[in-house]
Amino acid sequence: MEEALLRISEVSKHFGGVYAVNAVDMEVKEGGIWGLVGPNGSGKTTLFNTILGLYKPDHGTVYFNGKCISNLAPHDIYAEGLVNAFQLPRLFYQMTVLDNMLVAARGHQGDRLVNSLFLRKGWQEQEKGLIDEAIEILEFVELGKWAFSPAGELSGGQRKLLEVARGLMAKPRLLLLDEPAAGINPALGKTIFQKLKDFSGNGTTFFIVEHRLEILFEFAKWVYVMYRGRVVTQGEPHDVADAPAFYQAYLGGG
Amino acid sequence: MLLYGLDFLVFVGIFGIVALSLNLEFGFAGIANFGKVAFFLIGAYTYALLSKIGIPFPLCLIAGALTSALFGLLISLPALRLRTDYLAIAILAFGEILRLIVKSESWIAGGDWGTSVAPAISIAGASHHVGVLVNIGLVYFCLLICFVIAQLLANSPYGRVVRAIREDEIAAEALGKDRAKYKAQILMIGSAMVGVAGGLYVQYLHYVLPDMFVPMITFTVWIMVLLGGPGNNWGALLGAGLVELFKYGTNLAKPILPLDPINLQYILFGVLIILVLFYRPQGLLKESPIKTKALELVRYGKGVVNNKAGK
Repeated sequence: MEEALLRISEVSKHFGGVYAVNAVDMEVKEGGIWGLVGPNGSGKTTLFNTILGLYKPDHGTVYFNGKCISNLAPHDIYAEGLVNAFQLPRLFYQMTVLDNMLVAARGHQGDRLVNSLFLRKGWQEQEKGLIDEAIEILEFVELGKWAFSPAGELSGGQRKLLEVARGLMAKPRLLLLDEPAAGINPALGKTIFQKLKDFSGNGTTFFIVEHRLEILFEFAKWVYVMYRGRVVTQGEPHDVADAPAFYQAYLGGG
Repeated sequence: MLLYGLDFLVFVGIFGIVALSLNLEFGFAGIANFGKVAFFLIGAYTYALLSKIGIPFPLCLIAGALTSALFGLLISLPALRLRTDYLAIAILAFGEILRLIVKSESWIAGGDWGTSVAPAISIAGASHHVGVLVNIGLVYFCLLICFVIAQLLANSPYGRVVRAIREDEIAAEALGKDRAKYKAQILMIGSAMVGVAGGLYVQYLHYVLPDMFVPMITFTVWIMVLLGGPGNNWGALLGAGLVELFKYGTNLAKPILPLDPINLQYILFGVLIILVLFYRPQGLLKESPIKTKALELVRYGKGVVNNKAGK
């Protein structure tokens, strides 16, 4: 059997007596867009934070690429190629859009203290390449014109796009996105998903929490439904949409 | 009068180094180091004690830098756990504790009475003017080195990461940056610089006293950085120049002032901080953008990139 890119095994996380995530098993395989839905408070964001190493799971293990990452620090998980974009953009607002992108580059030699002082020739070439990549991604999300503007000057929708673009800049194997289409107009939401789908050809898999189900279901190849900390159903979008558990999760009655 | 001017230049140089180091910590990395004077003290006492046992002055300066950097590393441990304002108080207290230790323990360096320090370079038979000129050379040589280091750091991907940590620690951590490591490094470099400044200071004054290291020194340096413009190395130097000019100016005007200039300075410094923060929070000079060769190339040779994207 092919090893999944991300495998969550029996993961639980509780706060006091409340199980935010309760014995969750999940797999995300390489390629395409994977969805995670559920009503508010069902544990989606907690699960994401546990995957990212921001929370330590109380039980269970998270495997990425076959390797246990439950005990790694967030920056080490990032180095493995598992990257996250925040629900509310957390940009570096006083820095330019391009600098925001360059911070996200993985393995930039110039990030090291010694290299910044002495071996400056070494990373200048690398930086040139990274800038080309950054501009390409910025053009792709239609922010190319803004490369040298401070990120603080962008509009709300553009900030959202930059947050996603910054995630793409890391060339992650898996990019977790928490509600990329929330708080922006429906057309732009759809554009973002279309762009992600186009981008997923480049070796990046997306795992997305989204409340805008109509958009997510159009683009996702597999959807997990969480309710009260558990996975209640999963499957291809059209199957999930017909599943009783899915209705129960959203309309209550359970 | 000429001597007064030369003396002024020495002080601008020494405090220029201190301001550069605080700018590195606060302006670029966002670490509110309210204990700057502690590291100044460490450098000064290291220099004084080592030079007493006959160690040549460059080694004394380097040892001061290293000792100070070591304490910078120690301070970085709570710095990662405490919020900015709590950290500020903690480091402030650290500085006071150090000062009180050297004040009460007379075996260290004469306690309250201090001890004399030999000048770094003494030329037999030379006039006092020449001595000050030699000091200007030495101080500005050190200042130049610190400035080059600060500029290299500011204009590199390293500096970009450090600024990102200042802007949003959580986001920087989520983008794979080990903020603990970066903050520790910055505190070590900043402390090393101010350690050198401490050595230069006491060898220029020829003595070291605990009361040279009161918290007011820290605040004076903060005014330099806030006034000049945090996140701009030229701003730090400008701030150091202006604040020293102000100090020397009020001292000169002593006969015609109604108050003791020292007290007047304290009052006016307080007013100055309030005015700067209210009306020009970014300081006189704006934060300098990150400049690397590759970035400059894209920015000013824009056609190249556009052609490529247009293909």
